[in-house]
Amino acid sequence: MSESEIPETTGNEPESSSGSSTNSKIQSAIESLISIVDNIPPSLSSSENPATSLLHDPDLARKISSHLRQPNSGAGDNHLCRWLYDTFQSSDPTLQLVVLRFLPIIAGVYLSRVVLRVPLAGFEAVLLAIYAHETTSRGGQALTVNVPDLSHSSIYHETKVTTKNNATGINLAIFSPSLEPHGTVRSTKRARIVGVALELYYSKISHMPIGSKMDFCEFCVAWAGQDGDMYKDDQKDPSEQSKPQRKHGEDKGGRRIPLPWELLQPALRVLGHCLMGPNDSKELKEAASAASRSLYARALHDVNPQAILATGSLLRLGKLAMADSTDKTDPTEIPDLNNPIITI
Amino acid sequence: MLDNQSGEFSELNDDMAVQEVCANGLSMKTSEVEAKLDEGNIQEAESSLREGLSLNFEEARALLGRLEYQRGNVEGALRVFDGIDLQAAIQRLQPSLTEKPPSRRNRSRTESLNIASQHAASLVLEAIYLKAKSLQMLGRATEAAQECRSVLDAVERIFQHGIPDVLVDNKLQETVSKAVELLPELWKQAGHYQEAMSAYRRALLSQWNLDNECCARIQKNFAIFLLYSGVEAGPPSLAVQIDGSYVPRNNLEEAILLLMILLRKFYLGKTIWDPSVMEHFTFALSLCGQTSILARQIEEILPGIFHRCDRWNTLALCYSGAGQNESALNLLRKSLHNHEKPDDLLALLLAARICSEDSLLALEGVGYAQRAIANAQGVNEHLKGVGLHMLGRCLGKQAKVASSDFERSHLQSEALKSLDAAIAFECDNPDLIFDLGLQYAEHRNSHPALRCAKQFIDATGGSILKGWRLLALVLSAQQRYSEAEVVTDAALDETAKWEQGPLLRMKAQLKISQSLPMDAIGTYRFLLALVQAQRKSFGPLRSGIPQVEDDKVSEFEVWQDLANLYASLSHWRDAEVCLEKARSLRQYSAATLHSEGFMNEGRGQIQEALAAYSNGLLLDLSYVPSRVFMGALLRKMGPKALPVARSFLSDALRLEPTNRAAWYHLGMIHKDDGRIADACDCFQAASMLEEADPIESFSSIL
Repeated sequence: MSESEIPETTGNEPESSSGSSTNSKIQSAIESLISIVDNIPPSLSSSENPATSLLHDPDLARKISSHLRQPNSGAGDNHLCRWLYDTFQSSDPTLQLVVLRFLPIIAGVYLSRVVLRVPLAGFEAVLLAIYAHETTSRGGQALTVNVPDLSHSSIYHETKVTTKNNATGINLAIFSPSLEPHGTVRSTKRARIVGVALELYYSKISHMPIGSKMDFCEFCVAWAGQDGDMYKDDQKDPSEQSKPQRKHGEDKGGRRIPLPWELLQPALRVLGHCLMGPNDSKELKEAASAASRSLYARALHDVNPQAILATGSLLRLGKLAMADSTDKTDPTEIPDLNNPIITI
Repeated sequence: MLDNQSGEFSELNDDMAVQEVCANGLSMKTSEVEAKLDEGNIQEAESSLREGLSLNFEEARALLGRLEYQRGNVEGALRVFDGIDLQAAIQRLQPSLTEKPPSRRNRSRTESLNIASQHAASLVLEAIYLKAKSLQMLGRATEAAQECRSVLDAVERIFQHGIPDVLVDNKLQETVSKAVELLPELWKQAGHYQEAMSAYRRALLSQWNLDNECCARIQKNFAIFLLYSGVEAGPPSLAVQIDGSYVPRNNLEEAILLLMILLRKFYLGKTIWDPSVMEHFTFALSLCGQTSILARQIEEILPGIFHRCDRWNTLALCYSGAGQNESALNLLRKSLHNHEKPDDLLALLLAARICSEDSLLALEGVGYAQRAIANAQGVNEHLKGVGLHMLGRCLGKQAKVASSDFERSHLQSEALKSLDAAIAFECDNPDLIFDLGLQYAEHRNSHPALRCAKQFIDATGGSILKGWRLLALVLSAQQRYSEAEVVTDAALDETAKWEQGPLLRMKAQLKISQSLPMDAIGTYRFLLALVQAQRKSFGPLRSGIPQVEDDKVSEFEVWQDLANLYASLSHWRDAEVCLEKARSLRQYSAATLHSEGFMNEGRGQIQEALAAYSNGLLLDLSYVPSRVFMGALLRKMGPKALPVARSFLSDALRLEPTNRAAWYHLGMIHKDDGRIADACDCFQAASMLEEADPIESFSSIL
């Protein structure tokens, strides 16, 4: 609904003149950020690896996040949005990671606020830039999944005999449909644009700091608009008990939004990573569990079978993982650890 | 510490208070060695072992390290292991490069040689493995991974030609299996995800002679890593690809393949059931939108794992997700049977939802929805609103096939009542607002319908096309055509080119309603170009997927509309051409025959017109326009035909009570027959309906 104008690149001249030098790009990005966000830790520009600090510094992330959550943060003339846009357009992979780090908040605030008819061209410009990047790198092509059929021999089959079996056809699934270029955010394409941005976020998720993923889980709960606490297991530990109150206490501006499959599917992938991915953060797993509970409740409210299946399995996987972590026998441990006789 | 430990062991094995080390037929008490180790004197401990058990240096060290490791003294173990040059030991164990693979003749000689080195190899490899484990425990995952990898490298180098079966000693196999399983986990812990991927593939694609459970564990962990790590593995190396066999191209394909294999292994009784495998599989396939394949797998699951009702319900979700609502409903009927689980809320809601989409099932759906409302208690209380919502939808649908006016209006008001009640539970649910608006619109109550349509567009930020279409239709029903066109144009602005079909069609119809046929033809031309471009530009990839095809205008419909438009303008030749095009796309269609009849009628060919209308009705008994025109035409044929005409019109009104043309012609018949009061009623109905007639039926939005 709100039209998005692409902000011109201003204040970043040194970057274009200095060619492909990554360091100067990062330096100029930091310099322009200093003029936008107050009290940036001075260590940032002097640190040995400023790009990593931009991505991982929790203090800086908190500051930028609170800027993004301000009531008028998404307008076309917002300096931070312009900075994010310019930074993403610098086509430096590390700087693009820094922008993607804030995608959960941008998408979360944007989608929650879009019904309020407030100017959001700044957010839209960032989202469109990310969408355009993904469209280019995919060449607009759809992502497909060729669902295997065990009657065909495969690399993991135990017998390596090639069988000429054409009796069963292949099952080709469109995982993400082909991408058309979009210059503006048309309202019916909004969910798709954000969904594609989330697909890019997912492909870089192993570089993302925990805080970014926590933001995402928090917005999933808000988007679902449902409290999933009834799907919690009964045996709660006291530390968990206090959490819901905290969540309700601070309203971070998220609200229930329509969750079409084109948005829900990439969101569930991100959530799957937070819940089952290779990380040991208990905090993140709990946030992801809460998000999957909320989304499951929402899927039930929408009586959407596909969403019920996907969120329901996430919910149960979260519970299984919690139960697993309590009693675990390590199969890689030597078995006779307690065997008093060692024989060679 | 020593006391502590022996205490522990005496608990475990009553008669064994002291640990022992045995080798070469000799044995030693570990406490002696441990005492030396505790003093920090590795050398002495080593020499006492070498003397006591007649071992060589490496063997003694390996044994010492293991002792330390077993005692939980990981740092000590590491110190001991660091003292041996394990790589040099492996070098010595390797066959020299010049050595040929054993020929048949001197086989026995090599074998005996192998046996000699076998124990040494086993011991050394275990030592390296334990070193890796120690490093892992100390949090030095990268170094641990390197050590662990060297175990596997060593195995491959020492036994270049495989290990003869007779020689595989359990210990060696155990170490190898564990190292294979540990390596990817270590890389993961170290954060080297690409290394982890190749370690998994190495584990699964090389021959390590792993037992079923171990192999299943690795496959499962790899599948999980592929599904959730967010790191693309890339296709497997060409070396493992066999011609004609299935090679996964991306993470999702590989993960699904592995999970399928795991499920198959369970069916064959090779592994024990792991519920999480099924959950991962469900997640992966529902993300791909391939719930019908999921259903096939669930059907394969052996009895005794899931309760049959749970299985039916999951299957119903799968089939419904794949658009096979009929199969889904049949399964739900089984699971909701009195003797099964009649109160399962999820099943009740899904069944009600499926029934709410078919007027012939709506009555059944009302029952499910009412049971759902009654059962929405306790933990599930939050679903009460959903039950009411489904009840409203079912009642509204049931009203469409009501046999009497009284029943219909009763059902419609009941539907409105329960939708209103649902709003109280879910005030922020736009779908509910939409259904309420649609119900009002069907009830010809256009003001609240308009309010709901606007509210829906606001709540969804205009992101859902059907909201715009409802608003435009409601406006057109109020005869506010130009405003409806403004809404349609706004909607076109918010839509990408390929999704504009239904809106353009609506716009053309609005033009016709405003008596602007030439503008309408222009719009139809544009729409036609769009539809044809769409057909050409998307290969089978796009058009084959039902979910993308949902709201597309077909080329047939455009030609059909154009034919009707030209015929209404008496441009017979143009109409004929368009009709021919439509016919070439769909040979047997009531709509095409209807247009043909209309043209015949317009050109005064009454018999041909009648034949076309009745042929159309033979194709589709419920095709209302042909019934109406047939009735109207028969009326003109004189008083004898009036009863037949009347029955055609009554049938049409039974099928579509809001058809104003039918009311009008019925009124004419009454008038001809001299029943003036009846005629008045009919004309009144027709004129009231004309004031509230949308350009297209409201149900066309769904």
